[in-house]
Amino acid sequence: MRIVRLIARDELRLMLRNRVALIAFALILLLTGAAVASSWSHQRAIAERRARHQHAAERAFDAQPDRHPHRMVHYGHFLFRPLGPLAAFDPGVDAFTGNSMFLEGHRQNTANFGDVRQSSLLIRFGQLTPAFVLQIVAPLLLVFLGFGSLARETERGTLRLLMLQGASRRQLVAGKLLALGAVALAAAAPAMLGLLLIAGQPGALALPMLTIALGYGLYLGLWVVLILLVSAVVRRSRDALLVLVALWAVTSVLLPRAVPDLAGGAVPLRNRLQTEVAIARDLRRMGDSHDPDDPHFTRFRQALLDRHRVERVEDLPFNYKGLLALEGERLSAALFDLYAAQSFAAQARQNAMVDAAGLLSPAIALRGLSMAAAGTDFAAHRRFLEQAEAYRYALVQRLNRMQAEAVTYADDSATDAGADRRKRIGAAHWQALPDFRFVAPTGATLARAALPGLAMLGLWLVAASALLGWATRRLGAGR
Amino acid sequence: MSLPSSAPILIEDLTVAYGDQPVLDGLTLGVGAGRITALLGGNGAGKSTTLSTLLGFTRARSGRVAVCGIDPGAAPDAARRHIAYLPENVALYAHLSAVENADYLLALSDERHGRAAIVDALRAAGLQERAWDQRLAGFSKGMRQKVAIAVALLRAVPVLLLDEPTSGLDPRATADFNGLLSAVRERGTAVLMVTHDLLSAADVADEIAVLEAGRVAHRVAACGPERFDVRALHARFQVAA
Repeated sequence: MRIVRLIARDELRLMLRNRVALIAFALILLLTGAAVASSWSHQRAIAERRARHQHAAERAFDAQPDRHPHRMVHYGHFLFRPLGPLAAFDPGVDAFTGNSMFLEGHRQNTANFGDVRQSSLLIRFGQLTPAFVLQIVAPLLLVFLGFGSLARETERGTLRLLMLQGASRRQLVAGKLLALGAVALAAAAPAMLGLLLIAGQPGALALPMLTIALGYGLYLGLWVVLILLVSAVVRRSRDALLVLVALWAVTSVLLPRAVPDLAGGAVPLRNRLQTEVAIARDLRRMGDSHDPDDPHFTRFRQALLDRHRVERVEDLPFNYKGLLALEGERLSAALFDLYAAQSFAAQARQNAMVDAAGLLSPAIALRGLSMAAAGTDFAAHRRFLEQAEAYRYALVQRLNRMQAEAVTYADDSATDAGADRRKRIGAAHWQALPDFRFVAPTGATLARAALPGLAMLGLWLVAASALLGWATRRLGAGR
Repeated sequence: MSLPSSAPILIEDLTVAYGDQPVLDGLTLGVGAGRITALLGGNGAGKSTTLSTLLGFTRARSGRVAVCGIDPGAAPDAARRHIAYLPENVALYAHLSAVENADYLLALSDERHGRAAIVDALRAAGLQERAWDQRLAGFSKGMRQKVAIAVALLRAVPVLLLDEPTSGLDPRATADFNGLLSAVRERGTAVLMVTHDLLSAADVADEIAVLEAGRVAHRVAACGPERFDVRALHARFQVAA
């Protein structure tokens, strides 16, 4: 261990005496610090803004005057996707998916107003986040600091010198690993400090944060091993640098951008217009509650009349129009659910393809892990959409039930001068409706979702370490 | 030739080949404690391969090699602990000063010397004082050679292997170096010096062995009835080269 420490200390001394390395290291510290600060403030501003808008939407809904319940169904409600504290570390797909939804009767709207559509800055440059710095920039820094670790020793003949002083190949590689590992730790320190800051926030979950720290540790450790592997195998430092930059460009830049496009091409999604046309067509096929001759609603009316042993809808103990609205909503929601499930399934297939590409690119594996643990991945978006739809359906059906129970059929069908006032019910009805409360996943759920990414990174690390072991045994042979 | 089995450097009937190309072919050579042997020979005669085999970097095809009783082919790390080696092309660390280089390399060998001992060795090796704390990036080949000599001298090991040790040195430094070698001999170190510098060899060696076709073709002693004549040896060496 004494020799390993000495070699590591000398490697670090070399870096400290290299002005370019020092500047690069200072830059990454600055970049990570800036990313932590800006991402932190961005996340807090977004979370605060969405909470404020949500509160305003709830007040506006509650402030509606006495009305016919169906007017409230169409008045609708707004929901804003809450943003968890870990989004400050990795905002994931949050900026790209919509963050607000308009809830109304008869239709499921998609989330709107993704941040990238509202900010030309985000479209052009993306957001500077700690996750981005650690996923993309930190490996490049490690490459520039470590490409010559072993290649330089063989190239300049100092490898033999070290071995003559009693250092074994294994000790030499271990010393270099220790030095570059220390650099990786130092590079990750500001981001991890940011993670600790997040840990102090309400709603921050320890298990996902530990998972994130472990994932990034594995990822940077993997890069350290890969760098030394290439540096051990390639004869010249310059060639090692070329190989490593190419490896970085392919695995960290090219594949993470190309694979989602390939997955999108392999599993095409319907666009919004196609979906809406298809849903409208199916709705027409399903039946029209306003058409007295529509077969489905004729059967529905007859079943009601039979069950209550009456001849006319006017004699039913509730407002038939409210029942019609309940049934119509049930049918349309089932149809929308079907289309949503198809869309989710297609997106899940796309995501599975992207996740599998983690075997080709550790950056893809880490990105999946990071977003999953931070609760900012597609699954988190879907979780919000599903909870929002469940809330929308319950809200609309409650209003439809109010129409059925609090407004008489006679008043609802009347057209005289005072009919409009008689159809209204008190505002207390909607004020008593429960507000939307997003049920955030547990820490264990988030950590479990990150396990495939962790496993892939573990596989990468084991394979790279085995190759480094082989390269260590051959180090300096035949030179 | 019979060699005492306790000799720090012992080579018996050594055969080394690179592929089908034999480089050493039945080489037998020994260097006892407190003795300096100069190994001469033309290019490709097997001088560097002999050193490489002693250092454990090249495996013998047959024969016996021992450094202080240890086979460097089987236990290179153990054998190297007994060897100080000065290569022809000195590789040192350009980001470290002369003192730092010595300190680092000696620390790796677990031979800690204070700064005073290191600067004494640098001074003895002929490196000017103003260069002691300068980084090696701007050093000439000769200056680097002096740093390496200082490191080799500081290592208190029983075997010193030298590969063209005076190739980068001026005549004054060469003479100083030869003086240092004599001091090393006095402390009982076995020295094997590969060189083309016949004058140096004649000046400092106890014995000169001339390699031809992978084996010792001529062996002359520095004193006694076999004491060598430099002119005759030079003529022979010219023919061999």
